[in-house]
Amino acid sequence: MSDRRVIPSALAASTLTTSEGFDYKPIAIEPDVKVLKIGGQSMMDRGRSAIYPVLDELVQCKDKHKIMLMAGGGTRARHVYSMASELEMPTGVLAKLGGYVAMQNARMLQMLLAKHGGIYILPDDFEKLPLYFRLGCIPIASGMPPFEYWEKPSALGRIPRHRTDAGVYLTAEVLGASRVIFVKDEDGLYTDDPKKDPNAKHIPRISAQELIEKDLPDVVVERVVLEYVTRAKHCKELQIINGLKPGMLTRALAGEPVGSIIYKG
Amino acid sequence: MTDLLVGDGRTHIRSNLMRESLQDRAVLGATGSDNELAIMPNVTLISIGGQSIFDRGASAIMPVVGELVAARKAGVQMVIGVGGGTRVRHTLSVALDLGLPTGGIAQLVGAMEECNAVFLNALMADHGSLPMQREHFWDLPLYMNAGMLPIVISVPPYHFWEPPPESGALPEHGSDFGLFVHAEVLGMKRIIFVKDEDGLYDCDPKKHDDAKLIERTSLPELMENLPEELILDRKLFETWENSRHVQKVVIINGLTPGLIERALAGEDVGTVITKERADV
Repeated sequence: MSDRRVIPSALAASTLTTSEGFDYKPIAIEPDVKVLKIGGQSMMDRGRSAIYPVLDELVQCKDKHKIMLMAGGGTRARHVYSMASELEMPTGVLAKLGGYVAMQNARMLQMLLAKHGGIYILPDDFEKLPLYFRLGCIPIASGMPPFEYWEKPSALGRIPRHRTDAGVYLTAEVLGASRVIFVKDEDGLYTDDPKKDPNAKHIPRISAQELIEKDLPDVVVERVVLEYVTRAKHCKELQIINGLKPGMLTRALAGEPVGSIIYKG
Repeated sequence: MTDLLVGDGRTHIRSNLMRESLQDRAVLGATGSDNELAIMPNVTLISIGGQSIFDRGASAIMPVVGELVAARKAGVQMVIGVGGGTRVRHTLSVALDLGLPTGGIAQLVGAMEECNAVFLNALMADHGSLPMQREHFWDLPLYMNAGMLPIVISVPPYHFWEPPPESGALPEHGSDFGLFVHAEVLGMKRIIFVKDEDGLYDCDPKKHDDAKLIERTSLPELMENLPEELILDRKLFETWENSRHVQKVVIINGLTPGLIERALAGEDVGTVITKERADV
């Protein structure tokens, strides 16, 4: 029996299942890209009254920033998850289904922004971002990560844990951006869902760890994103702003901490 | 006709999840059930190790190919996965040294697994193998009906979007995990991992002479005392805890003649890990 033919390297003999001590200095691939999510339920499902003004604002800002726009899902995703649950579908199938809705929303945004350089991109196009930015485009993508059938089953129920907040966050993290902006329809983070509890209090700034420990019954951003922020190498700040308030997007793109900031710590 | 609801500024479709943020635990819990659909439960997934089998060359690969072909001819319904091996480790070493981000590293590694898939496919095409790309996920029933031997992708397509690991920078979702999830989402009950050790040990037998073979165990027992050095991705075991379909993970020595055929015939050889404790 032949021996294993090994290429010598620092990890050659590793089973890769233990933590390795490595002098790792992570690079930031494109840190000046502003990754921006347009909420599904919070923004897209409001239609023109919400989307037109926020896109107008975005167009005003586009020459000052490299903006990558990503789209959330919304009510159609909830409907499809609900139907899929009734049909007893596995989590991975739900993840694939949810992806269709975010894709539709990204395409809608592209049609609205085409005149201003909006282009629809797929995960396979990700590595061409430098080209698109040099050409002055606004790359627009689905916010869902490409996990699809490979999304892990959840401990609780069958809704995929990695949805559009996660896809957008992970995009910002891999690009090396220090902050990611979520455009929703509330002023940011609250102690409970402000749509259901009028006594919910606004939280302008909080660490992810503290937020996790608070164990609130409901949170404005997918829980996995809070976990990931605590491990971030680059994207250490989540900013949640109200896209229904004129001027918020402009200020957030300029770096102002409007809305709520959830930071690594 | 499905109702559309307006009134809070947003247009909703009536469903029991409408208006929900999907973070609410009560809402999430209500979506689960004990009767999850098993899409293709009668198929077995068998994974051929990268470093353990492919990197040993022809002397290890050819006998494995022979046993896989024999099992197919005997009517076993199976899909095949492959590991990456030393080229993966080299890729990781260079990528870490260059300071590439975790997602970028994850985007790179799958290519080395695919090389082994190309090898295996070339050796088995005459017996009906074919490489299954991600776009052909739903062609699997067609391939099974036609008596084909699909070779599935093993590393999950997380790519640039690989989540940050709990520690360090190496991607946590490798080929063992990817194959597990593929089997789980399709409702498969049994996965066989072909390596170059007799099964799962309490530590790496290549480094420790006193390593003890764990022949029969269950996931709960294993998770109480998970060895630090593992022959399979740690994420596989963590994910299995939340899974509904896979009942057995079998780890066998592909260098011992006959074990692949026996495992594929349903025999409990090597290490057998069951989802539940034996006395349940």
